[in-house]
Amino acid sequence: MDPKEPIPVSLFFTCLADAFSPGVCTATVEVLERFGAAVSVPLSQTCCGQPAFNSGNRKEARAMARKFLLSFPDDGYIVTPSGSCAAMVKHGYPVLFRDEPRTLTRARAVGERIFELSQFLVDVLGVTDPKSDFSGKVTYHDSCHLRRGLGVVSAPRKLLRAIPGVEFVEMEESDRCCGFGGVFSLKYPRISCKMTERKVERILATGASYVTSGDLGCLLSIGGLISRVGYPVKAIHLAEILVGKTGGLSSFAADAASVEPRPPGTVRWAGGR
Amino acid sequence: MELNANAFGRNSRKALLDKTLQEALGRTTGRFQAHRDAAVAAFPEFEATRERASRIKRDVLDHLDTYLARFIEEAEKRGAVVHVARGPGQAREIAARIARDEGVTLAVKSKSMASEEISFNEALQGAGVTVVESDLGEFIIQLAGEAPSHIIAPAVHKTREQISRLFERHLGEPRTDSIPELVAMARRHLRAKFLSAGMGVSGGNFLVADTGSVVIVTNEGNGRMGTVLPRVHLAVVGIEKVIPRLADLPTFLRLLPRSASGQTISSYVSIVTGARRAGDPEGPERTHILLLDCGRSAILEGKYREILKCVRCAACLNACPVYQSVGGHAYGWVYSGPIGAVLTPLLVGLPEAAALPDASTLCGACADVCPVKIPLPDFLLELRSDAREQGLKAPGEIAAMKGYAGVMKRAGLLEAIERIAGVLGQFFTKGKGIAGLPYPFSGWTERRDFPVPAARPFRKRWKIQRGVTR
Ligand code: SF4
Repeated sequence: MDPKEPIPVSLFFTCLADAFSPGVCTATVEVLERFGAAVSVPLSQTCCGQPAFNSGNRKEARAMARKFLLSFPDDGYIVTPSGSCAAMVKHGYPVLFRDEPRTLTRARAVGERIFELSQFLVDVLGVTDPKSDFSGKVTYHDSCHLRRGLGVVSAPRKLLRAIPGVEFVEMEESDRCCGFGGVFSLKYPRISCKMTERKVERILATGASYVTSGDLGCLLSIGGLISRVGYPVKAIHLAEILVGKTGGLSSFAADAASVEPRPPGTVRWAGGR
Repeated sequence: MELNANAFGRNSRKALLDKTLQEALGRTTGRFQAHRDAAVAAFPEFEATRERASRIKRDVLDHLDTYLARFIEEAEKRGAVVHVARGPGQAREIAARIARDEGVTLAVKSKSMASEEISFNEALQGAGVTVVESDLGEFIIQLAGEAPSHIIAPAVHKTREQISRLFERHLGEPRTDSIPELVAMARRHLRAKFLSAGMGVSGGNFLVADTGSVVIVTNEGNGRMGTVLPRVHLAVVGIEKVIPRLADLPTFLRLLPRSASGQTISSYVSIVTGARRAGDPEGPERTHILLLDCGRSAILEGKYREILKCVRCAACLNACPVYQSVGGHAYGWVYSGPIGAVLTPLLVGLPEAAALPDASTLCGACADVCPVKIPLPDFLLELRSDAREQGLKAPGEIAAMKGYAGVMKRAGLLEAIERIAGVLGQFFTKGKGIAGLPYPFSGWTERRDFPVPAARPFRKRWKIQRGVTR
């Protein structure tokens, strides 16, 4: 994969990653550049409006969606390290603007151009080898919106399997919801936690040192539980595995070798310092 | 059945602490789901059949009046008496009147969710009629004085020990932990009821327009006995259950048992057409069909009409991680799981059940398995939006969303807030995960850490690294 012309890509870094895991955004840029993308970052972007939309607050969601549509250029790809944010733009925006024909047309066009990272790498750039020197035993959690919303199932697995140092193991119920669900985890935290616990059980059963996913939201919940209990496994975003250690950016990945259980509440989940 | 859907939060907390329930849920829903997946995998025409079923149902909804009129005409032609109830109150009145007019004092009833909807048993008891549930699961929960917690397995939340204790107390049977023995006890007890009951009550899975038949799909012989042995048969069915032709039935019979329990076909499929005719060897002397509107024609007019395609297979319950975590009673009415979260607010009014549409992570597992392709997550989202528009959202949530949108409309403001959060975060947590967020977020960190905001968010990093400002 060595295109002559750089491929213009706008990075939609997502508000969650911006605030809690900037390393994920940086890793995404590095991986995209590795495969010939000319990455630009529209700095006026904020949030796609998913929390408002998913909780039924459409007025606010529309305001954010409008802002999103204005923040990105009229052409080129938009790539994001988040399956749920991509799905929001692709499927949520047409619902939000169903009574506004002009905005709807624009929203649909943007929806055509937006891709989640692994989907973009595999389906658009045709990447077969991510050229990552990451090493360790890794299991993968299908985020609901990436899998069901965007239909991305094989791309992340293909990439993980292609990394020589990665021993990839499937967990049971990999496509089962982790319980995060955005606002759901605030409204019904106990049910949410119960679901996360089941997910973490499945992760631990694989004996993997890392659990990865294409959605930071899921990792927030899974990683938060792992951190609280001190389980011997690390939650890490797919972009950080793809960029590998030489990316040198992911503090998260760098200290991931230490898998000692620690007392509750003392393990830092997110990178970003 | 009593309604307490808005207590979902409280109900679910109770359910999470109920050890026996948790055990039972893990066991049963998992088994149903595994059987369903295997049955679907072994049925290559699943997708095509599903598509056809969805199309037939959509056609039914487009011409419900016509198909219903045809059904009523054909059923009456064959000797059935058809009643239509606009609302639950009217349905109860009609049911009680039928029982009184027919001189019934004991009725045996097979499983029917529609009858739960109108509190059928209470209505008949009010008219001096004893109603005995004859489905094993329903029989058990009737003894326990409870409501069903699953569409196809009403006593899914009970263990065999609990059942044996119930049989000991109410039927005077000795304690046992053998399932066949428990089944035999129930059978002995119910046989006597079947023979002395004046009326058999059933639900109906399908109403066939071109023949006027009521189709009942069951796994227990009680359904058939109830429609054949007693002098009178009453079927209580929602109007949306109509299908155009008998020839359409196989399409649904291929999907329903597979989706419900993973069976290729259910043990019994009864096609009841009219009343007993001269020369018929068996069957009731009189057949009544009570058709329930009870909010359905209103649903038909609106954006949720496709929910009426539901065949009550319960596949969405078994696939739903929320249902699997809390069980059916948490949903506080007849229908539980994803179908309940959509249907209950539509049938009883959103203000009475606004908590239910929020009881989902929108993971989409339900839509994956629904044999008639109902877009359940889309409907949940739509209902949440309706809740906001009807003023049913907590003022706190609206204020939070407004504030959040206000910040997100301005990247500069967001950046400033991130900077403050970053400083505070590092200062207060010294780089460790946040173990206790303040109310109303405290629930989140009860058993999970929350990540610390980054000292230097990505936007800032990018500006510095690449020397860009916009
Ligand atoms: S909504 Fe679909 S999956 Fe759920 S009970 Fe109805 S038909 Fe079955």
